[in-house]
Amino acid sequence: MTLFQRIKRFFIGLIMLVVAIVFIVDPSDEAYKFVIAVLSLGLAAKGIKDIFFYFTMARHMVGGKTILIQGVIVLDFALLTGSLSDVPKIYILLYLIVIHAFSGVVEVLRAMEAKRAVEGPWKMKFSHGVINFLLAISCLVFIRQTHTALIIYSIGLAYSALMRIGGAFRRTAFILIK
Amino acid sequence: MQEDFHYYATYCAAYISGYSHDESLDIAYSAQFVDQCSRTLLAKIKGPLDAATTQLQLELMDARTDPIGLQDITRIWSAFHFLPKDLYAKKEHCNRHYLNKYRLICGPNGDLVEKTVELAKGRPLQSVGIAMHVLADTWAHSNFAGTPSLVINNTNYEFYELFPVEDGFREKQIKFRHKTSVPDDLDNSIYTNSLYQSNENSIMNLGHGRAGHLPDYSFVRYRYLPAWGDYEEIIKDNPSDYHKAFTQMIYAMKYIRGVNDSFEKNTYDTDAIEPWRDRIKNIIEKRQLLACDDWKAFGEELSGQEIEDFVIDKYFDEYKKSGKKEKDETFIGKFIRGAMAHKGMVIDEISKSGNILAGIAKQFFWVKLLEGKKNDVVSKD
Repeated sequence: MTLFQRIKRFFIGLIMLVVAIVFIVDPSDEAYKFVIAVLSLGLAAKGIKDIFFYFTMARHMVGGKTILIQGVIVLDFALLTGSLSDVPKIYILLYLIVIHAFSGVVEVLRAMEAKRAVEGPWKMKFSHGVINFLLAISCLVFIRQTHTALIIYSIGLAYSALMRIGGAFRRTAFILIK
Repeated sequence: MQEDFHYYATYCAAYISGYSHDESLDIAYSAQFVDQCSRTLLAKIKGPLDAATTQLQLELMDARTDPIGLQDITRIWSAFHFLPKDLYAKKEHCNRHYLNKYRLICGPNGDLVEKTVELAKGRPLQSVGIAMHVLADTWAHSNFAGTPSLVINNTNYEFYELFPVEDGFREKQIKFRHKTSVPDDLDNSIYTNSLYQSNENSIMNLGHGRAGHLPDYSFVRYRYLPAWGDYEEIIKDNPSDYHKAFTQMIYAMKYIRGVNDSFEKNTYDTDAIEPWRDRIKNIIEKRQLLACDDWKAFGEELSGQEIEDFVIDKYFDEYKKSGKKEKDETFIGKFIRGAMAHKGMVIDEISKSGNILAGIAKQFFWVKLLEGKKNDVVSKD
């Protein structure tokens, strides 16, 4: 991981942590709107970046279409997220929970792929994905009690944020093949 | 390639091409020293940092991947370990940025190999060693580029080791892991490679990191899908490539010594190894992580003299204790001059092709600036 990647990872983790705290301390309409705006902007930036990278470089690469598909899906999520400003809070929460569950599933799938293709570190990724998924399911169970669901969601978000921040400081395997 | 080929096999090739035992040792030392001469080492012996021919793991961890940082990395790795095969290669429907990276893909028998060998002619043995390192690596490292690039250097799960059987090859899917603490498992085809990084310019995407050490093993044959290859498979036959590398080194060194009148691409001195053909084949095809002992035994049989192990600091004292004016005439001083001349030549050629990824060689920068020369290069062919 380069220094820039570490800094990026740290700041994204920090934003997630702030969002979790805001949700617990002051779950107002403004807080929801703020979170939606941040999420939408972040996803849009990532989606546009992936699509741009595909058209300029990755379209010549074996497996490059994955980057395009990833970019389109992320951008789609960004637009959908941005359009959620005038819907009841419970739907926004539902949407955030689904995203959380989705990221958990993706994490688990990546861990499984890592286990299959390489003999690499996959257990941490796997457990992170499972915890995220289980927290999302717990939120859904308590969805009628919005406040409880929000607290569970915030705990999940804080957990992901701390993992991310911790990851930014972790010594990563650096393998130089000469 | 590793010490087995860069040091011991290079010694054997030098000796077969007609150099004496001592001269062959100097060439072999210089060839292997290319993999050791980092900025950290140069700082330790108070040598010019611009002469670095490699980068240590720690240096790369700190390396910047902005355009200037990438140029620095590319200058070292393209010049000494991944010599580009065709700086004017064409690929349709791609932009300049992609093309610049695509043109840095390493391969044997390119124009730059010819220039590398010609540059070493008439120069000290250290330059011959550097040229042999570069030439040998064009075979081992072919199809990868000496610049960080996901779109060029990435590989995927489509990676199979090929084992010769009676009527062809048996295939076994290669499993990669990211553990440097354990050696590659040859029995089960489990190899260490670098982590997948979706960032185009990540250091993990430099050279053949994503294919692990497979290009460095002379015995291995494998097929895979290179990221740049439009879904066309490459079958890499290392025993054949290493055999060509060895015989091309002999041919090149005979040219440098003045035995051959010219150095032409795609020419190999196979006659020179005729008496030891099977012996060399057996060493190359033996499944082992490092073939140092076998090459060393072969070299000692050839010359009848003991080949000392590679000792990195063999010439450091001579260099450190020399005065400023005498440094250039020491062993390391000559290596440094040879390395800078070679690096300058390669950077200039890359720059002349209109490719900015390696920057501009210092010695040429001021000349060009003063002359106001414009590099109109893209249309060379």
